[in-house]
This record gives sequence, structure tokens and C-alpha cells, in this order.
Amino acid sequence: MSEQEIFDKVVKILEPYVKNEEAFASVVKETSILEDLKVNSARLVDVVLAFEDEFDIEIADEDADAVVTVGDAVRIITEKLG
Amino acid sequence: MSDKKVALVTGGGTGIGSAICRALAAEGFRVAIHYRSSEAGAAALAKELDDAFTIQGDLSDASSIDAMVKTLKAEAGRCDVLVNNAGFNVNAPMMTMKLGDYDAVAAVERGAWYLTKMIVRRFMFRAESGRIVNISSIVGHTGNAGQVPYTMAKAGLDAMTKSMALEMQDRGVLVNSVAPGFIDTEMTEVLPEEIKESILSKIPLGRMGKAEEIAEVVTFLATKAGYITGTVLHVNGGMYGG
Repeated sequence: MSEQEIFDKVVKILEPYVKNEEAFASVVKETSILEDLKVNSARLVDVVLAFEDEFDIEIADEDADAVVTVGDAVRIITEKLG
Repeated sequence: MSDKKVALVTGGGTGIGSAICRALAAEGFRVAIHYRSSEAGAAALAKELDDAFTIQGDLSDASSIDAMVKTLKAEAGRCDVLVNNAGFNVNAPMMTMKLGDYDAVAAVERGAWYLTKMIVRRFMFRAESGRIVNISSIVGHTGNAGQVPYTMAKAGLDAMTKSMALEMQDRGVLVNSVAPGFIDTEMTEVLPEEIKESILSKIPLGRMGKAEEIAEVVTFLATKAGYITGTVLHVNGGMYGG
């Protein structure tokens, strides 16, 4: 799977949790999931579970903690996919 | 893999834990019987119960808990009910209790939190459904000389129940505690006669409870009780009402 495909899937997974539509409209790898997209931190676990289900991977707590931006998510998923 | 609902019971091979396993199996659950060192008891119970299986793990060790969750996923692929029953106790006056004793007692309750987190994360949030029953103790509410760490740990477990229930209120996961009083188990069988008599004199119903009487309350919380969460149910023959 290409990095762009992973990025597109990550963005699609994030969509239902986004509270700032304006930031989402111009989402890039540097976009912060909590700060820019205003995703509720209590819903981050749902996002991580959705990543696991979509890509058939397991994301440990330490990896989940490292997900700040959309690009972080893409990088960690890419690593897990090997 | 079976379509049966799955219940994981920690410390399921002995005492109250084995009664809970039997009661849940009788309700149609496939029971995962956790043990740390009581392999013989857990294995014998697994043979006795339809479709049950054992899971070994040390609840004071996070990597062991991670391995338990992996085993459960591979063996059953689901977990509908978690009963945090395992406990550890060191009886000693606080003046002679060692820091290591305190840590050993507290570590099991810490493990209950971590196991719950991982079970919820792996299975219950995805299913948007689940029941968690924490087995605490009357002494977490009344105190008990010689059990400072144990009473602290059990009181903490009930507080954890309430906080977890609030965190999961919109997730379909109900969290409750059952706080047994003095129950007739292998642990109480070995008490000296005068201690037993002293205990009995404080129980309004005049007898110790049976493990099955705890198990039936756990089963009620695990299978019915759809409008109860964040609650501690006291099962102690009238010694303490909360």
C-alpha cells in the first residue's frame, strides 16, 4: 500500500471525529489531530481501534501516544505494515 | 470458534473464583479460567465445564497480562464478561509489614486495572458491549487489623469500579463490584476455631457465606442487571450494608 493510500484511509477514519471542518478541508501530514482537527481526546482510542481494524495491525500504547499529527499516524501504520 | 459468549475469570481455579466459573458456565458462557500458580485446580475445572479453557498469567506483570489478552484473542476471539476476582493478601500488623508486602498486594489490583483496560480496548469497545465485575471485600469498607494493604487495595478496587463505570457509560460497558463478607472457602477453613466463632458472632445471619452465593450475584450482574453500573453490591449476611 502506498503512503498516499494510507494517508487517504487515515483521513477517512478521522472524518467522523473531526470538530474543525475548516482545518479538515485542508488536511496535510503536519495537521495535528487534537489541536487542529479538534478531535476529542476521549475518542482517540476509537481512532486507534479503527486504524487497527482497517490495516489489520496492533498499535501498542507507546505507539498510540506518539500519534500527534496525521503524518505520525501514517508513519506508524507504514512501519507496522512493514 | 464457538459463538458462545466468553467470560474471563481471574483466579478462577480456586475458592470463590471456581464457583463463579461454574455459575457462568451454567448460564451458557464459555469460561476462560485464569490462574497464576494453581494450574491443577484450573485444569480440572476446565475439564469439568463445557468448552472452558485455562489461561496462565501473572497479574503483577504487564507483559504477562498482554500475553493473556493475546491468548484470549487467539482462543476465543471475544470477551463479553471480565470478572476481576484474583487477589493477594499478606496478613501482618502494619508495624511489621514490609514495603515489599504492600507492593505485592497492591500489584494485583494494579493488574486488575491494566487487564480491564486491555480487555476493554481489545474486545468490549469494539463490541460496544461488556460487563465487568470486580470482586472486592467487606474489609475494604470496614477496615481490618492486620490487613492494611489488602483493605486499601480492595477499597481502591471499588473506587476504580465507580470511575470506570463513569468512563464507559456511553460505551455499553457496565462495571460493578461485589464485596463479599466472610465466605466459607479454603482460606477460611484453616482459621482457628476461636477466630471462626468471633467472626460468626458478628454476622447477623449467623453463618459464613457460600462461594455459590457470591457467584450468583456475579452472574446476575454479568447477565441481567442492565440498569446497574458503578455500584458495589455487599454480600455479607448483614454485617455491613454500605
